[in-house]
Formats: sequence, structure tokens, C-alpha cells
Amino acid sequence: MQAGEVFGFLGPNGAGKTTTMNVLLGFVPPTSGAAYLFGIDVRQPIARQRIGYLPELTYYYKFLTAEELLRFYAKIFGLPRAETDKRIDQLLKLVELEHARKRPIKSYSKGMQQRVGLAQALINNPDLLILDEPTSGLDPLGRMKVREIIQRLKNEGKTVFFSSHELGEVETVCDRVAIIHQGDLKAVGRVQEITGQHASLEKAFLDIIGFQTSTTP
Amino acid sequence: MRNIFAVAGIVIKELYRRKDFYVLFILTVLVCLIMASVNIFNDKHIVRYLKELCLLLIWVSSLVIAITTTARQIPAEREQRTLLPLLAKPLTRTQLIFGKFLGCWLACGLVLICFYIFFGALAASRDHAWPLLNYFQAAFLHWIALGVVVALALLGSLVFAAPSSNSTICFVIVATILTLGRYLDAVALAQPEPFRSLIYAVYYAVPHLEIPFEMRNLIVHDWPLIAWNFVALDALYLLAYAAAFLVAACLVFRRKPVN
Amino acid sequence: MTSPRTFFLLLLALLVGCFGFAAGLLPRFAAYESRRHQSNDFFKLLLGDSTKMFANSFFVKADEYYHSGYYPTIFDNNSNFKTPHVAEDTGAVTSHNQGGEDTSFMGEPRDWLDAFGRHFIPNRHTHLDEGGAADDLSGSDNVREILPWLKLSARLDPDNVTTYTVTAFWLRNRMHKDKEAEQVLREGLRNNPQSCELLFELGRLYSESYHDAGRARNVWELGVRYWFQLPAEEQKEDRLILEQLTTNLGQLEETAGNLPQALNWLQAAQKSSLTPGTLQKRIDAVKAKMAEQSSQLVVPKSLY
Repeated sequence: MQAGEVFGFLGPNGAGKTTTMNVLLGFVPPTSGAAYLFGIDVRQPIARQRIGYLPELTYYYKFLTAEELLRFYAKIFGLPRAETDKRIDQLLKLVELEHARKRPIKSYSKGMQQRVGLAQALINNPDLLILDEPTSGLDPLGRMKVREIIQRLKNEGKTVFFSSHELGEVETVCDRVAIIHQGDLKAVGRVQEITGQHASLEKAFLDIIGFQTSTTP
Repeated sequence: MRNIFAVAGIVIKELYRRKDFYVLFILTVLVCLIMASVNIFNDKHIVRYLKELCLLLIWVSSLVIAITTTARQIPAEREQRTLLPLLAKPLTRTQLIFGKFLGCWLACGLVLICFYIFFGALAASRDHAWPLLNYFQAAFLHWIALGVVVALALLGSLVFAAPSSNSTICFVIVATILTLGRYLDAVALAQPEPFRSLIYAVYYAVPHLEIPFEMRNLIVHDWPLIAWNFVALDALYLLAYAAAFLVAACLVFRRKPVN
Repeated sequence: MTSPRTFFLLLLALLVGCFGFAAGLLPRFAAYESRRHQSNDFFKLLLGDSTKMFANSFFVKADEYYHSGYYPTIFDNNSNFKTPHVAEDTGAVTSHNQGGEDTSFMGEPRDWLDAFGRHFIPNRHTHLDEGGAADDLSGSDNVREILPWLKLSARLDPDNVTTYTVTAFWLRNRMHKDKEAEQVLREGLRNNPQSCELLFELGRLYSESYHDAGRARNVWELGVRYWFQLPAEEQKEDRLILEQLTTNLGQLEETAGNLPQALNWLQAAQKSSLTPGTLQKRIDAVKAKMAEQSSQLVVPKSLY
């Protein structure tokens, strides 16, 4: 990946998208080869100092408030107190959770939990944001807000790496995409290059993974 | 160390936001106050039975809190999927284990402070005496013993599938050590080989948590202070076991898949 | 669809059926309940006959408290603790202990762990009425600490006379709580109406604490009467209490100046005594006093 781009990671269910992310995040060791983030082997904890991660299913400590959760993660990143306070205020405003900052997370709706997830992924002002299906389970308004945030991050020069099933979204937001199927990288390149002769990215995707569409009379 | 303390802080927050401690504390206070209200031949200075009952309840409550709090730490993180965003930070698995241990252990320490303050007040209301150093010795070694229990439960939470099975096994092991630990060598001597060697091996292998447990008799019956060098030796002995369990937990956790 | 009328008729039929069933079962239940254990005591209902086992445990617990926690377990040599010292020291029970001062029931340390662990447990033989662990005689009324366990033991096994006598002894002799001692003995007598031991202790209370010779005499004489009502086998086993009753009656009469009556009682005591020689000296002393007085004696009928 190149710095400052929004990179989409596509593939059908079970293709290996989440596994790839788990390797990048150091959750599982690679069976062969090595992975690097900013030139550091992913098995070193310091490799995660400059990244933010939003998992697909967002669950956080139910007994904590949003503010306490963010403060906890900021402490792990070693952020000074003044900067932590400033970042928390900024992020809660960004994800529109200021009104609920003192409420425990167990009282949040799914959408609010997703937004808390986004906030914790951004707490350390990461240079690389890894998002696993960031818009799953969100209503159209929520999806739009997430797209806006991704666009804003891109404008700030951040790199965003996310997986999604929403090809329309990927077409709109991403600079480059990669398509993975059964653990193999099938295609990587700019959206227009991938789409090529096909009518849409969806048709190109189906063709690349070898799915035969049935012809309707 | 910063990361370890951060994780520990979350564990302590969890403890005082859950109801377990308050329920057990109020139960202990109620039982002790009810027993204290019993009229025994119009004598208001009888106190030892109260002290024994209170100390027993403190031990039971602290073991319940230590084991149940620790047994659910890692499994709850897995089940609630909070482990992934946590390990996605620059936090090693070893730091997570140590942070959980420190949090549970410090939480047990806070629990013990509350319980022993109540115990001291209850005893002083009849005794009109405050043998603070004696209480400190007992509470200190009690806390160290809980460190071993916490480490054991933490290791168990990585080995056993369910928190309930881990809790049950830990309770059984700890209860057996507390009641029979001191006498295993006597039992061994009465057995033929190879059982004698087997029981002796168990006797030397298990952490002798009954040493702080049986100190209750010294507190109840107003025995003089134990020599501080023996207290220090026992603390070191138990801490060595806690360290061994923690190292084992780290080694097991390293190989466990996170998701 | 079932109409509301049918529904209510069905409900009524069900109610009638249930009442009829209950009425039919009531006589059977009444018969069953009368066969059940009659006790309305909570502990008896809860624990059944195991109350005696618990009562014994709590009695031993009192002894453990008497020793400030220094006490053998089933793994230790308890030959010198077979009769609890808290009872033995009252003189009220026959001791089965080895005798002599116990040095250490635990024996030598079996290994370094055992030796180390002994620093954390009570490790000296002390008695609470001698100061306990602090060896401070000013704290000798710490023997009060055994009372809760004795009280609980008596509550769980009201048929055990020894518990009452031991409790009364410590209340009266060490804590000077005469009223409470009397209450304990009276409670014991309510549960064991013909107990000679309890009557004897009650008489001692009246005599030594209240200095009421009249009541003491009445109670001891009652005790003697009850003793003679015992079956022959029980009389054979329990001659000591008769000796105690008659000896104390003799002492009481001698103090009151009723020398002929005192002589009768002492002679009766001598007949049941295992050491008649000791009593003979006292009998001779009374006879000598009578001779001195050289007053007209009315020799009451012999008891035998």
C-alpha cells in the first residue's frame, strides 16, 4: 500500500480478508513469509503504535463510559494527559457522541457503539487506519457519516485500509482495491483498472472470482 | 509498566462497578452484626467467636471475589470481543496477563482493606483494643495468598474452556489446600509406597496457602506477633508460586489464538 | 369456541374436585404428621439426630477456645485431650486423659515445611483461666470466651447434662455470674428433670454463692431421692454423685450444728464412697464433737 491512499480489500465470505487483517495486526502468525507495517515486522508490538483498528463486530467494555474507554486506550498509546483530553473532545464531537460521553457503553445503541469504535480507532491519530467492514449494520445516514470520515482522513494524508462487501461504497471512496478469493490475491489496482471492460465493479468482481451469472430469459 | 497499570485500572473499575463485592460485604456485615446481637449470659465482652466468624467470612468472601473476578477476565474479553481492539494496540500478551493479574490482585487488596477495617471495628467494639500490627500481618499474608489464587485462576482461565469450570476447579483446589495442606505429610507417612511418594510430591508441590489461613487463630486468640522474618519468608515463598503460575499463563496465552 | 359459561362451569368443577381431593387426603396427612418426630425445635427439625454430633463438636470447640486455639486435630496425638480440659478442670467429669502436663501433641516437626508452618499457629499449651496466650493473669476472665460454644452445645443437645454443669461452673467460679449460672442449671433441669448432677451443682450455687443453706439442703435432698429412684445398673455406675450429694449435705448439717443429721449423711456417703477411709476421719471428728456437746441425740432412722 502507498501512503495517503484509501485501499479497499474485497472478497467473498471466507476469502481470507479478516485473516489477512489478523496477520497484519499480529493476532495470528503468518504460516509463511512476513508482514510489515511502516517497515516494522507486525509481530513487534511497536508496529501497532501508528495504526488504528476498527473490528467488524464492535464490542467494548460495557461498564466503561465512552470517555473512560478512550482514555484507557490513549494511556496504552502513551499519550500525555493534555493531548488525551483534547483528542477525546475532538473525537467525541466527530462521531457525535458528546451527549453520551458519561453514559456506560452498555446503554448505547448499535450505531453508537460503532461510532465509539471509530473514535477508539482514531484516538492515537493513526497514520494507518484498518477498518473491517466499517459500515456493516449501519443505516444509510450512518454509512454516509463513515464515508465522510474516511474522506476527511484521506484529505489529512492518512492511509485507510478497509474491507467491505458494499462495492458501491468501495467504488466511491477507494483509490485502489485488491480482490482476494480463497486466500489468493486475484487482482490489485485502481478501481477503473479493475472495472476495465465490465459495466461495474460488481460485475468485474464476480468475473474475477469466477462466479458464473445465470442468463435470464 | 504503563500498559500493565492501564489494564489493571480497568479491572479495578470493573470490580467496584459490579455488585459482587457489595453483596458479599453487606452479607458479612449483616451476619456478624446479627451474631453480635446475641445475648450470651449478659456478657458484653465476649468477642472471640465473633472474630473467628468474621475472619472466616472474610476469607470465604475474598476467595469468591478473587476466583470469580479472575476466572472471567480473559474469557469475557474473548466472548465480548474486546480482546481484539485491545491487542490491536501496542500491548503485548504478556503485558495483558500481568495487567489482569495486577488488577485482580490490587482489587483483592482493596476488598481486604474494607473487610479488615470492619473486622477491626467489630473487634474493638468489644475488646477495646487495636492490635494493628497483628491485623497487618494477617491481612498482608492474606493478600499475598490471594495473589497465588489469582495467578492460579488466571492460568486456569487460559486452560479451561468455561469460567464456571475454572472457578469450580480453583475452589476445590484452594479449599483442599486450606483444610488438608498442613497434614498431607502425615497422611503420606501412613501410606504404603508408591502412594507415599506420590502424596509427598503433592505435599511439596502445592503452595501452602493454609499458612496465612491458620493465622486466624493467632488473631482470634490474641497471640503475640509473629517474627517479621518469618512473615517475609512466607510472603516470598507464596510470591514465588504466584510468579510461576503467571509465567505459565504467559506461555499458554502466547500460543492461544485470539479470535 | 368454548363459551364463557362452559369455561366457568369447568373452573367450578375443578375447584370442587381440588377441595374434595384435599378433604380426602386430610385424615391421611394428620395420621402421617402424628407419626413424625414431635419436636418443634428448629435445629432438631433441620439436623435430626446429628444435633448431638454438632453439640459434641461445639463442646470440643469450647475446649479449643480454652486453649486459645492450641488443639490437636485428627492427625495429631490427642491422647491427653480425650476429655476436654474445660470439663476436666471443673472436677465434674471423669478424666480419660493420660495425665501430666502436655508437652506437644504435634510431636517433632516432620519436615522443614511443618517446622516453618508452626510459627503461624498457636504453639503453647495455655489455659484461658490462667491468662491464655498472653500469660497475663489479669486477663484470666477471658475464660468467658468459651461460653458461646457451651451455650450452643447445650442448645443443640439439651440432654447432655455435662454441658450445663461445666457452663455453670465457669460462670459461677471464674466470672462470678451467679444468676446466669442458676439460669443455666434451671434450664438444664427443665430438659433433664431428674438429673442428680444438675441438682448437686444447683445446691453448690445456693450454698457457696448465695449462702442459702435451706435451699441447698432441699435441692441436695431431692437429688438423693432421685438417685434412689434410678435403676440398679445406673446406681452401680454413678456412685460418685451420691457421695458428692451426701458429703455436702453432711458438711452443711455440720456447719448448721445438726451433728446427728451430719453424722447420718457422712455415714451414708461412706457407704457409696470409693475412698471410705477419708470419710472415716470426718465421721470420727463429728462423733467427737457430739461427744463434746454431750447433749441428747435423736438418732434418726438410718437410711438403709
